[in-house]
Amino acid sequence: MLLILFYISCSKKSNPADDKTTNGFDKTAMLTNYADKLIIPAYEQAQQKLTGLQTSVNAFLATPNLTNQAALKIVFKDTYLQIERISVLEFGPSRDNSLVGFINTLPANTMKKIGEKTDLAIMEENIASGNWNLVQNSAVHQQGFPALDYLFFANDALAKFTDANSTNRKKYVQDVLNRIKSLLDQTLSTWKNTYRGQFIANTQSNSGSPISYLLNQFAYEMDMLKGPRIGWPFGTQSGGIQFPELCEAYYSGLSLDLAIENMNSLKNMFTGGNSGKGIADLLAALGNTSLKDEILNQFNVVDSKLKAIPAPLSSALANNKPAIEDANKEIQLLLRLIKTDAVSKLGVQISYVDNDGD
Amino acid sequence: MTAINKAIKWIKSPTSIAPLVTFRVLFGILMLLSTIRFWIRGWITTQYVDPTFHFTFIGFDWIHPLGNVGMHLVFFFIAVSSLFIALGFCYRFAMVTFFLLFTYVELIDVTYYLNHYYFISVVSFLMIWLPAGRFFSLDVKFNPALKVTEVPRWTVGSIRLQLGLVYFFAGLAKLNSDWLLAAQPMKIWLPTKSHLPLIGSLMYEEWVAYFFSWFGAAYDLFIVFFLLIRRTRFIGYLMVLIFHIATAIFFPAIGMFPYIMMVCTLVFFSGDFHLKLIRFFNPLFSGVENRSVFFKPVYQNERLWIFGLFFLIQIVLPMRYLAYPGPLFWTEEGYRFSWRVMLMEKVGTAIFSIRDSQTGNRYEVNNSEFLTTQQEKMMSTQPDLILKYAHYLADVYVRRGIKKPQVYGEVYVTLNGRRSAPFIDSKVNLADQQLSFKHYKWILPFNINHDL
Repeated sequence: MLLILFYISCSKKSNPADDKTTNGFDKTAMLTNYADKLIIPAYEQAQQKLTGLQTSVNAFLATPNLTNQAALKIVFKDTYLQIERISVLEFGPSRDNSLVGFINTLPANTMKKIGEKTDLAIMEENIASGNWNLVQNSAVHQQGFPALDYLFFANDALAKFTDANSTNRKKYVQDVLNRIKSLLDQTLSTWKNTYRGQFIANTQSNSGSPISYLLNQFAYEMDMLKGPRIGWPFGTQSGGIQFPELCEAYYSGLSLDLAIENMNSLKNMFTGGNSGKGIADLLAALGNTSLKDEILNQFNVVDSKLKAIPAPLSSALANNKPAIEDANKEIQLLLRLIKTDAVSKLGVQISYVDNDGD
Repeated sequence: MTAINKAIKWIKSPTSIAPLVTFRVLFGILMLLSTIRFWIRGWITTQYVDPTFHFTFIGFDWIHPLGNVGMHLVFFFIAVSSLFIALGFCYRFAMVTFFLLFTYVELIDVTYYLNHYYFISVVSFLMIWLPAGRFFSLDVKFNPALKVTEVPRWTVGSIRLQLGLVYFFAGLAKLNSDWLLAAQPMKIWLPTKSHLPLIGSLMYEEWVAYFFSWFGAAYDLFIVFFLLIRRTRFIGYLMVLIFHIATAIFFPAIGMFPYIMMVCTLVFFSGDFHLKLIRFFNPLFSGVENRSVFFKPVYQNERLWIFGLFFLIQIVLPMRYLAYPGPLFWTEEGYRFSWRVMLMEKVGTAIFSIRDSQTGNRYEVNNSEFLTTQQEKMMSTQPDLILKYAHYLADVYVRRGIKKPQVYGEVYVTLNGRRSAPFIDSKVNLADQQLSFKHYKWILPFNINHDL
């Protein structure tokens, strides 16, 4: 009977109203909540804050002194924190533009070697010569917030804004900012014009669906926190040899603030902004309230463990090892809860290939 | 003895070749389409060209991919041989080529293992020995002397038996408490289908999950009997269509499987049915009713031995899990090649660390440096793959300058919605453990009642 009903239903075009569930969880409402209350506003906020940053940068570039640098740092931090809130949205238009890849590469590896030279060295050469092309993929580590972090806050930053290359340097800064702005503008306009509709209309959980994107990006961000944000600088992958200069926002020393903000925006995305229409609520609706609570609790544990590390992270790496090890342990538990338990209970598919075995 | 002799005489008795012939044509067409689909989706590159490391089957370490051009050529020749099979052109040669190339591809990496790929290998092996190209084929058109209309019963029967084994073992596998008593993993999978029109909201209902589970088990166990008996055959095939179209819609990720089964089960129909089918598609074949040309295979008895041995293996292989301790779903020792299709929801997270036994330094592994998403996903829940990967990591870190690397895995696995639990002993140096078909003692025991 059921299957016959099913056949009849498949023969005609489906009505969008059918997607809603009467006695189950309304996934369309959840996705609409994500698009309209969390995602699009996050990009709009980022645009706004970037405009503020540009004003501060202009003031700083006009008069590069300590006072303006300090004033710039406050706005820079505020904007960078907003960038952390969109990093969990790296799918759809953001992925197509490689938005996060270009504006906040991790590890913040301006020291990464391309052939014989580091990205940093290439950046300085480009500034000296007045030639650069930020659109090419090879320049990915020579732009975005990691580049700005270096350009504004490295030890000799102020001096370099008054030396012989300062005109080129100022132009470079403006170009980096404009590049961030154009990527952000493109992403937001695609979200508003076309992607929002696709996003809320697809309530499936297979690969390439919004729900799968959300979960995969949660898992990815957890990997980022465990690896490039904390583990790699700390030396987990290198037998204990530390790389403080790999820390996110190494020069301004904002690493921990950014990591904490990233986690909390992740938690906010997980709950759907506590609106009753988030992945957390879907988990609960499917009968997994205790798992949901445990994940939320673990977010808080990670938050407090990260806050227990004295800033800046780059010096805590060597001086506060137990606190970092402690945090790593809790991060790993959160990672497992999301990547294994939540993904499994939601039946989300991770891979694109055919699968009949499990 | 006379009963056995009678049976042997019966399976050697003549029957119409037609079911074998439509099977050949449809199999060829389906393999062609499936190869094109695989190519178009870019999977040749992502599965066989891009990865730096492959999980080979035990004993098949000598199998390697052939690089970008090589792999595309392999798939090209798979497609060409599929077409030849459908047309019945150089049938035996095309069949051998198809079997070897297809099986070669499947042997490159365990993590891409699918039951229906295994099924294709098995069936194409059988088809090498069957006279499926000797009617309604280009071979016969060019050399009419090859034409036969009657074949020994066992030739058609072997395909039917193989299909029967697939269904029956798939059905037996569903007779477990998670499936029948807890409706798992249906309870997890069905709510992800709430987008389906009209019945979407039903997907949240518990009884629907039970209905699907029980219906699925009953279908797998009994469908072959419906297809075998003439009176129930039509309704049986209708069930086949309904069941597999439904699975294709509900679980699109299973790929070609439903279509393969819908096409293959046609072999249960009678010779007359298939003759009508063939005549419908080729009016030139009038006069096929004249069953005057008999098939007299020279190696008939030898082939019977091959088939007998083959089916003995086919029956033993799915049962081999009984030789291992611990629940099969947890350990997966004896899981592959046993027709366990869409049976469990299993996800794992595996974190490996390398310890330098001389300095004590630890190096945590970034899996994405070595594995694709699919490889990492499959490895994280399967002990033999975990071990294989651990051995590979040991080699990598030796090359990176660590003399005696020890490899430790912290692996957590969730099965059918239970909370994740430690899967292997994290204190065991995996680099020291041997890959074998023996039970791996470092797999931790499974608590079946845990929080389901």
